[in-house]
Amino acid sequence: MTNIPASVIEYVQSMWMAEMILTYLHIDAEGRLIDWGGYPQRYGLTTLTKDKLVVDQVDFLNGFLDITHTEVLQYLNIGGNRCIHVHIVPLEDGIYVLLLDVTAEHDRQQKMQQQVNELSILTYRQSQLLQELETTRIKLSAEKQQLEQTSKLKNDFIATLSHELRTPLTSIMGYTKLLDDAKQADVYESNYLDSVKKNANHLLSLIDNILDQTKLEIGQIEIHPNNCNVKQLLVDLKSLFLPIAQEKNLMFSVEVPDNLPTQLIIDELRFRQVLINLITNGIKFTDKGFVEVKITWQNNRLEFIVTDSGPGISPESQPKIFTAFHRESTANALPGVGLGLAISYHLVELMGGQLSVESSPQFGSNFTGFISANSVQFSVSDNTEISNSNIKILLVDDSVDLRSLIELYLENDGYAVITANDGDEAVKLALQTKPDIILMDMQMPVLDGYGAVQKLRAKKFTKPIIALSGSNIECDRNYALEIGCNQYLTKPIDPEKLLKVISQVILSSI
Amino acid sequence: MAILQKKICMIGDFSVGKTSLVARFVRQTFSDKYLTTVGVKIDTKLLTLPDGNQIKFILWDIAGSESLTTATTSYLRGSAGFLLVVDGTRRPTWDSALNLRQTVLKQIGDKPFVILLNKADLKEQWEITEELMEEKTKQGWKLLLTSAKNGMNVEQAFLELALLMTK
Repeated sequence: MTNIPASVIEYVQSMWMAEMILTYLHIDAEGRLIDWGGYPQRYGLTTLTKDKLVVDQVDFLNGFLDITHTEVLQYLNIGGNRCIHVHIVPLEDGIYVLLLDVTAEHDRQQKMQQQVNELSILTYRQSQLLQELETTRIKLSAEKQQLEQTSKLKNDFIATLSHELRTPLTSIMGYTKLLDDAKQADVYESNYLDSVKKNANHLLSLIDNILDQTKLEIGQIEIHPNNCNVKQLLVDLKSLFLPIAQEKNLMFSVEVPDNLPTQLIIDELRFRQVLINLITNGIKFTDKGFVEVKITWQNNRLEFIVTDSGPGISPESQPKIFTAFHRESTANALPGVGLGLAISYHLVELMGGQLSVESSPQFGSNFTGFISANSVQFSVSDNTEISNSNIKILLVDDSVDLRSLIELYLENDGYAVITANDGDEAVKLALQTKPDIILMDMQMPVLDGYGAVQKLRAKKFTKPIIALSGSNIECDRNYALEIGCNQYLTKPIDPEKLLKVISQVILSSI
Repeated sequence: MAILQKKICMIGDFSVGKTSLVARFVRQTFSDKYLTTVGVKIDTKLLTLPDGNQIKFILWDIAGSESLTTATTSYLRGSAGFLLVVDGTRRPTWDSALNLRQTVLKQIGDKPFVILLNKADLKEQWEITEELMEEKTKQGWKLLLTSAKNGMNVEQAFLELALLMTK
């Protein structure tokens, strides 16, 4: 150390460095190594030779010997585990290269920098992930929108199809019934009429099933529990199916328990639909023996079992029996598209219950299910007698055939009927003639039923309005009721149901 | 005959793989563990050129950053060329490389360089588009896809730079 000039010592002492262990190299003006001191071997400089070019011995000095002022190279790792600051100091008697050990400080810096860099990479990856998620979200959102649009188009199509098919079917079925009621047809003509009726009914049930399945798929079927006379419903079903069973020489029975309340709160329409599907299947698949329906009611659950002595269902097929469009091989020769059981299964679920099957080939099948069914106290209302001839009904429909048919039903029941061809005409007539009730078709030219109802309600027309619609879609029903209709009936119009609803609506409006 | 000595610098943003490329080139090793460089690491490697001549590379592996500080700029002194390293899975490191190249140009003049698009083994995370690469290739820049992990084009990268420097 004694060879180091005082100015260099002073320079070094001015440094605030931790763990300073000074090593130096002294180089002459030609770049030859004159001398060294300290511990160059700590930094891998093990073979230093005096009077030889320093750049051939100390690689990192390459390019740094032509300096005119002090150069500092920080944190040099020149091999081994040590790290140095290198100060290259040009003086009168040559260049002094000072090597200061800063390993500890380097390690501290590295630890800190490592954390900063890792955090930065992590943040970047996170932002990239978020960006990817956002891109995926936007893509999914667009797809969802497209699906919703497609779904809406599908619903609109179904609604239109429903209207277009149901309206002519109403005419076909209505006029067939009128012809049949006339009882002047001979045996051949009666058979022809039966065939028309049977096929029209089949077509209607097919349309209804396809529509129901579609609506179930998109969650558009809502359950409307209301007071229902279950006993009467079962009596109706028995009288409906007994002749059909007898035609096939099958025994058909409906067992009703004594404790069954007169009124239960259930969705009558949907419960009836389930029983009809199960009984129809039982009769369809059973060639000999019986079909029986057993009903029990306990703990606010209406339980039903439909048993038949048909061919049964194989264990492999049973899990698939409630799947839409599934058909057993035994059903190939029989009419149907395989929707009845799937629809029934979902309807029972919607009514708070379950439907299951037990079956063994050749021993028939047991369809067992239940739905929620609270009992109600039936309040007896005043039996107000009203003469239908005093009731004036405005019937609005753009279909001449249908208008004439419904007019005939109404007049046969004694009502006074006036008619209108579209919504616009209906509004004018209603305000002039003040009918007691309006039967309003919802799809019409000029002004449709929805528009007409809204206009009438806006002009304070308070009498009941019953919507007659070809659309069996839930949102159409809800919308019609929301804008002021009192009831919503779907086509084809069942004359008995229509007349029943008219009297109920009139009674409740008094 | 004296062996030609050339100082070359490894330049690029942090964690692009500069140290790993040197480790692969000098020692044929690779570690998945990331260890940040503080300051500079100096290594040497003797490379034989296609014409049989040998060249001694003095490799200055400079701490990664999106820009050079006064301290790190001094490392460039005497450099005969440099490798500009980009992490192909992080687009911002491409922009850093372009900025760093400008700084180097100002500091030591127009020296030969090769751009290394490193981590080419992580193709599914790749963020450098063909268009970006094509644009630079058209400007006459030399670009190479490399992987310190599997060794892809590592030797080639140093050789390309050596050829550019001895041309």
